[in-house]
Amino acid sequence: MIIEDEAGLRDSIEAYFTEEGNICETAHDFSSAMSKVNLYRYDCIVLDITLPKGSGLDILKHLKAGQQADGVLIISAKNSLDDRLTGLDLGADDYLTKPFHLSELRARVAAIVRRKAFNGNNILTLNEIFIDLTAKEVKINQTAVKFTRKEYSLLLYFIANKGKVVSKSAIAEHLWGDSIDIADNFDFIYSHIKNIRKKMVEAGGKDYIQAAYGMGYKFTDA
Amino acid sequence: MKLLDKYNRINISVTVIIMLVTGVIYYFTIHAILTHQVDKALLVEEREVFDYVQLNHHLPQVFRTNHQEIIFTPANGPVQRKFIDTSYRDTKDQDMEPARAIITSVTVGSQLYKITVIQSTVETEDLIGDVFLITIILIVVLVIALFLSNRLILRRIWQPFYTILNQLKVFNLAEDKAVASVPSTIDEFTELDQAVGIMATKAKDDYLNLKAFTENAAHELMTPISVINSKLDTLVQTGQFSDSQSQLLNDIYNTVARLTRLNKSMLLLTKIENGLIHDQQNINLKELLSTSFWQYEELLGSLNIKLTTQLDDCEVQASPLLMEVLINNLISNAIRHNLPGGSITVSLDQQQLQISNSGKDGEIDIERVFKRFQKSSASEGIGLGLTICRQICNNYGFNLQYQFSQNTHHFTISFAVTE
Repeated sequence: MIIEDEAGLRDSIEAYFTEEGNICETAHDFSSAMSKVNLYRYDCIVLDITLPKGSGLDILKHLKAGQQADGVLIISAKNSLDDRLTGLDLGADDYLTKPFHLSELRARVAAIVRRKAFNGNNILTLNEIFIDLTAKEVKINQTAVKFTRKEYSLLLYFIANKGKVVSKSAIAEHLWGDSIDIADNFDFIYSHIKNIRKKMVEAGGKDYIQAAYGMGYKFTDA
Repeated sequence: MKLLDKYNRINISVTVIIMLVTGVIYYFTIHAILTHQVDKALLVEEREVFDYVQLNHHLPQVFRTNHQEIIFTPANGPVQRKFIDTSYRDTKDQDMEPARAIITSVTVGSQLYKITVIQSTVETEDLIGDVFLITIILIVVLVIALFLSNRLILRRIWQPFYTILNQLKVFNLAEDKAVASVPSTIDEFTELDQAVGIMATKAKDDYLNLKAFTENAAHELMTPISVINSKLDTLVQTGQFSDSQSQLLNDIYNTVARLTRLNKSMLLLTKIENGLIHDQQNINLKELLSTSFWQYEELLGSLNIKLTTQLDDCEVQASPLLMEVLINNLISNAIRHNLPGGSITVSLDQQQLQISNSGKDGEIDIERVFKRFQKSSASEGIGLGLTICRQICNNYGFNLQYQFSQNTHHFTISFAVTE
């Protein structure tokens, strides 16, 4: 469920999430959002704070007052910490400031959905890949593979964005945060990805990650 | 020069000149009057001699008092009658005294006598001296009195001016403190006070408007940027791209990222300046530094920069976000402005954090780079990094200092909170 008033952004998020058999609904203002959250339950709600005719925070309050288990990820143009803290205090699962990469949003949503679905027993499996998210351990064909922190984080990021081209700029922002000049790090992305691929193939896994037209990389399960 | 000094200098010199001129005029006037008095006394003596000669047909007996002497000498020719200044030997003290004399003549029988009546003017001179002394004392006393009273009066009268001036000196646009009104009974000062008050209010309003504008503009920009970002992310999913197309897309990505960072920095700066960041927590700087080193490990490795650290535990009360920005900015600068194969030394203890790095440039003009959008031409940054660092330090009362020695730049933050 996407609650966002900016049509351009809403459509992009919807398009990005709808593939792969996900069902994605949208709402563009406060009242339509309220009527939808009252009728249906969602795995995750992507919630903009500044909405026409109301505040996203009120929707969040309403959800939490009704003891609803829907995961909530707040997206806001306001980087203001007050909003962030209020949002998290009110029970939002995560907070993302605009602008963000769709791949980042997707990774965050995937994490929320996983947390909700597995209830602490946090294990992710994809074909021969087995990831214990609590212990941060990766096994491929039952063989433990040692990844560095950045490689591990990158692998999860790719799996969450399976089948999508993830831009280098999104990867850099994910690994190093937005306070760091991204262009500095493009070369390092290549070496990190090379290492991941090497380690996975050496453990007998498939070579999932492919370079995509010099712009980014794609994790394909085909 | 202070107003008081300037005023005193003019006032006192004018007074002294006038007094001196007056004194001189006074001296000559009194001198003339007293000489005139003496001359009259001499004329009385002359008349007495004439009367005596007319009555007795012989010269009077020559007698001599302490201050007066009459001398008769036989004259051969005609004697011109005149007053002269002369000197006189005092009978008692036997010293020379100034004197005034009249020279005239009288005929006794057929003999013409020259008469010289000498009158000592020592008392007159003494009188003039006394008068002059009193005048001088008067001048000195008057000047001192003027000086003191000017000082006192000016101090008191100008008090509102100095109060206003002091307020202007400490006036800070960013502070939420109004300029207090200084009441005064003097119209000029009341006007000044009002003008200052109006000016300060207007400056503050303008400043607030400008800040609000910056914040709003940055906010409003975020939404279109995020639309561009999401559209780009969607676009790259759509299929095959040629090399030149992907290069273009990469460039757009980078530019959008740069725009985002610029915008976020501006927002952050406005927020710090507006004092909108309140989430104070205990922060372990050692952990924060380790995280930062971890984030920069690839960059450090690729430039072959040697990182030396000496970290003690240090906790500060601050916003985690701001401290992270502060440390990342300083470390990032230390890397960015370093030489390949250079070195970075970071030391942390309870009192201070010092980040030193070897650098390609000489000493930087620190006041200039603390200003917004000032950066070295070689820098790829956006020019807000150090401005933000300084603002964060100011916010928490930390002291951010820069030194340059032996081709090494040192940035030191002292945590001693000065409140």
